[in-house]
Order: sequence, then structure tokens, then C-alpha cells
Amino acid sequence: MFGIFKPRTFFNLANNSIFWLKIIFAFTLVVGLVLALVLSPIDYLQKDTVRIMYVHVPSSWIALFIFLIIGVSSFISLIFKIKVFSIYAKSLAPIGLVFSLISIVTGSLWGYPTWGTFWSWDGRLTSMLVLVLSYVLYVSLWSLIKNYNLAEKITNIVGIVGLINIPIIKFSVVWWNTLHQPASITLTAAPTIHSSMLAPLLIMFFCFCILSLIIFLIRYKYEIINFRVNKK
Amino acid sequence: MILEFFTMGGYGFYIWLSYAFATLSLIFLYYRSVKKLNSIKRIEYIYQSEKAESLSISAQVNRF
Repeated sequence: MFGIFKPRTFFNLANNSIFWLKIIFAFTLVVGLVLALVLSPIDYLQKDTVRIMYVHVPSSWIALFIFLIIGVSSFISLIFKIKVFSIYAKSLAPIGLVFSLISIVTGSLWGYPTWGTFWSWDGRLTSMLVLVLSYVLYVSLWSLIKNYNLAEKITNIVGIVGLINIPIIKFSVVWWNTLHQPASITLTAAPTIHSSMLAPLLIMFFCFCILSLIIFLIRYKYEIINFRVNKK
Repeated sequence: MILEFFTMGGYGFYIWLSYAFATLSLIFLYYRSVKKLNSIKRIEYIYQSEKAESLSISAQVNRF
């Protein structure tokens, strides 16, 4: 079962699957963009600005999900001393950083026409900013610390500590009064948005997931070769 | 019709800027990752060539 986690198996998987993933990505991107920008209806309250949701929400989900994986991988790497998990986390971090930045910037651009401000220090926005800073810290530590084992140990701790922020982001709209609206889609209840808006949202999310996977496989290959070269 | 599409009911600036930022960031991330992979592949190739060369030299020295 854990054979897939072996570096060589994963390396071969990366070599064989990138081409097909690129084709799936291109297809879902075209379908997703046509639905998001042309066919999906405008919101009765937010008008056309709702189209920003199709970039903002999937980016936020991916940024959160990637940090969750980084946290779990860091935990496994630190406790069980399995090196490949820290390589997974290291390869994923820049992707999560970019998606968290996209989430913050597109959120601000959506916020101005709907709330009248680009930024507010409320629970959701501030906790998302903490996520961006956690990513920046994680990525910077890997590039600043030259000793591999020390960098691995410290980034593992950052990854685990950063996990605390994930439930804060998720429940910030419930715990505090925020400008940000509560989640329209949850795992435990039926979505509160219409299917004509849900479809492009899920397609764009799938499209971003595929792109993340492509970039992760490229970065993973880089990290494995880099590890091999430096070991020699 | 086309003008309506681009103006997006007066919110075009915010919508297109959001999509442009996302697109450019992801393109940057993708190409940076590919560039890094290609550069490390080159380093690995040079390293392997040097190793093969030193092995053949040492084999020649041993023959003498």
C-alpha cells in the first residue's frame, strides 16, 4: 500500500503521468473558464463580481489543503524519520504559497466592490494572512538554512505549528463577526449555492488541483535529483 | 455584446485583474519549476559525465 510513497515509484509515476495530466488540465481549464466567465449567471446582489469566486475559492481551498498535507508530512518526517515526506512537503510549499497569495489578492479585489474596502482585520482575512506568512517562513527557511538536516528539522516544526491555523481559518467566520460570508459549501451539509454556480466552481477547483499536481511532480523530481546530487 | 463581456457590468477591472493575477502567478510558478528541474538535470548530467571520464582515466592508469 505504501509502495507509492517510495521515491523511485513516485519518480516513475511523475515521468509517465505529466503529459496526460497536462491534457486533462487544458480541457478542464477551457470548460471551467467558459462556464465561469460566460455561462454562469450573475449574482442578484454582487452582480458580475461573483465571477471572482471561481478563482478565489478554489485557490483558498488548495492553499489550505496543501498546508494540511505539509503539516501531516512534517509530523511523519519528524516522528518517524522518513525523509521522503519532508521532500513532499518541500515540493508542495511554493505551490501553496502561490495559491494563498492568489486567494488574498483576488479576495481583496472582490472585497472592494462588495464591501467597499480592500482589506479588513477580521478573523478570516487575518488568519489567511497568517497562512501566507507561514508559507513564506517555511519556504524561506528551506532556502536560508544550508545544513539539510537542520533545515528539515526546523521546517518540520514550522509545518506542525502552522497546522493550528487551519481550524482557525475554517471556523473564523463562525467564531467571530466577520465581513467575510460563511462557507456556502461544506462537507457535512448540502451546498447553499445554485448548481449553475456550483458546477464552474468545482470544475475550476478540479482544474487547479490538476495544475498543482503537475507542478508538484516537476518540483518533486527536482528535489529528488537535487538530493541525489548533493549527497554525492 | 463583446463590450458587455469585457466591461462585466462595470466590474471588469476587478474581475480581469483577479484572473490576470492568478494566471501570471501560476505561469511564473510553472516556468520557474521547469527551469529549476532543467538546471538540476544539466548539473546531474555534467556530474555523471565527469564521473565516467574519471573512471575511464583511472582504468587507463591501471592498465599502465
